[in-house]
Amino acid sequence: MFYVDLAISGIVFGCMYALMAVGLTLVYGMLRILHIAHAAVFALGAYVTVLVANASGSILIGFIAALIATPLCGVAIYRLLYQPLLHYRPDVPMIASIGLLVLMQDGFRILFGEQGVTFLKNPLAIETVDIAGITLNLAQIAVLIVTIIIFLALHLFTTQTRIGVAWRATVSNPRIAASFGVDAIRVRYLNFAIGSALAGVAGGLIALLNNFVDPTIGYVVSYKALAIIVLGGLGSVRGTLIASLFLGVIESYGTIFIGSYLNRDAIAFLALILILMARPQGFTGARTA
Amino acid sequence: MLNFGRGLFGALAVLISQAALADVKIGFQAPLTGLAATDGKSSKIAAEIAIDDLNAAGGVLGQKFELVTYDDQAKSDQAIFTANKLVGDDGVKFAISGSYSAAGRAAAPIFQKAGVVFISSYGVHPDITKAGDYCFRLVRLGPPQGRAAAYFIADKLKLKKASVISMDNDYGEATLQGFLGDAEKNGIKVVNKYNYSLQDRQFGPIVAGVKRDDPEVIYATGYFFTAGPLVAQLRAGGVKAPIVGSQAFDSGKFIEIAGAAAEGVYVIDGFDRYRKDSKLEHFTAEFQKRAGYPPEGVAAEVYSSFDILADAMKRTGSLDPVKVRDTLAATKDFPMLNETLGGFNKLHEVVMPATVDVVKDGKFVHFSTIEDAKVLAPPEE
Repeated sequence: MFYVDLAISGIVFGCMYALMAVGLTLVYGMLRILHIAHAAVFALGAYVTVLVANASGSILIGFIAALIATPLCGVAIYRLLYQPLLHYRPDVPMIASIGLLVLMQDGFRILFGEQGVTFLKNPLAIETVDIAGITLNLAQIAVLIVTIIIFLALHLFTTQTRIGVAWRATVSNPRIAASFGVDAIRVRYLNFAIGSALAGVAGGLIALLNNFVDPTIGYVVSYKALAIIVLGGLGSVRGTLIASLFLGVIESYGTIFIGSYLNRDAIAFLALILILMARPQGFTGARTA
Repeated sequence: MLNFGRGLFGALAVLISQAALADVKIGFQAPLTGLAATDGKSSKIAAEIAIDDLNAAGGVLGQKFELVTYDDQAKSDQAIFTANKLVGDDGVKFAISGSYSAAGRAAAPIFQKAGVVFISSYGVHPDITKAGDYCFRLVRLGPPQGRAAAYFIADKLKLKKASVISMDNDYGEATLQGFLGDAEKNGIKVVNKYNYSLQDRQFGPIVAGVKRDDPEVIYATGYFFTAGPLVAQLRAGGVKAPIVGSQAFDSGKFIEIAGAAAEGVYVIDGFDRYRKDSKLEHFTAEFQKRAGYPPEGVAAEVYSSFDILADAMKRTGSLDPVKVRDTLAATKDFPMLNETLGGFNKLHEVVMPATVDVVKDGKFVHFSTIEDAKVLAPPEE
């Protein structure tokens, strides 16, 4: 049971990483920008979920609000920050992105307080279900179900719809996609909207799990998601999913077996370094920049 | 006569203006932005209340106190910069740190070298007072806090089998060492140790490990932002053993995050906030008014730092830092907001009893007081 408990913890970590990192890898695939401010979009999702849920009395409404706010924020970041900087070297928008992350984090602190916010009512974090001797709380189950639904939907969207196929084509090769008549600008907006919505949902789910959102909530995810997209092979969605789950499970087992020497983040980065030494191209060996 | 009168008037005017100009500046460093901004804000408000109260009570030796505050972001590099600024630009002779260990530890040698009397309100790294004889600390060091926890678990709770969960910063490490050092002596068997990073809020693997350990008691160090999710997740994972937390659990926000899971959690060296005491009641009301939330241990310690420093100045009857330092070092039985300070030891570490709080009906209430001088003895070197 113990090992199953650990595996489930790891998969829950992995789901969160996947929701975060897919948006990041898509932006990189399309624009070659390391979208650090994605972590702030994630934090925004977490804040909006908690605040709207508290105001409306419904966690579901909180999530819907986050699903509206985060794509708008993502698209605004593209339009107002990245687009004017696209003709500079890729490190210029990246630095702007770091600046935006710091600005937004301090913005959250000033607007919503240093102490962070919590759900007034969050039964999901407390109520548990026993399945064959394994205790899971409802928030963990919600994370698993929501992540599966989202990625199935995303898969159908990118294989079954015209705009979805155009999007996939643009991420994997922007120039050739454009020569086939794909509207690159429209696809970019779509890209930021969907990537940000995923981060927003991830933020809301993390808020549910922790019952707590503070201004620095995006901090860890910001650098760990970067590590994951490198591990997944930059620009590859499949690789990112594999890397997310892999890292989550490694962290979970690592916490127990080497946890008294290294903390979870250190374990994750140690694993990352070892894997990249063996496979510099990442798991899937997709193109690199 | 006229000349004499004019001269007298002039002299008086000079004296008055000097008195007005020569306010006693107290340098203050706190993490107003960055990761520790929560405590920084509480610290700053507590410092301002302390200065207002001291000035309302007439200041010291006919002079008013003036607070000079800088943001050290709880970072060592920033604390060195602001400490140098306090010494060089502002020319302070007295300084208080309402910040974390990393910042206090970096600032202490600068104040020591400049001959500035320096109090760290709640920074727990041993190096802070080791910087020299101008440096004081108003909070108990990590190791005796950990020893007190071991003593409490064995002597009061009568429990013997423990899982230990510790955060991986200076404070967590030092407290853990104190606990582990005394656990065996108290007959406590530590089944397993777990370590987590301060950024972590997800403790699934640790919960799974503790479930396997099946301990009688859990000892954990952490701040509210880690302790809240940790306790909630332990309880949600079905762990029922009592949880004994370190001092930094002591925050209303901890109870807010952990909710019902916080019930019954013990906090070693907690802040006995409902004690009947007019000064404490005044402070609590004033803090609530200015901050919009009730004060925590951190705020009480910062307030008491100003209070005890001003008291030493008054008893010295002089603002000479050397004399004030010596009077402060000889302080006995001073009523602080959280506990009565017995005094300082050779290293200028506090000698005082430890309060143990328990969470009951969503509030921290007094559970017991540890007075054993040997358990609580601060290190002498």
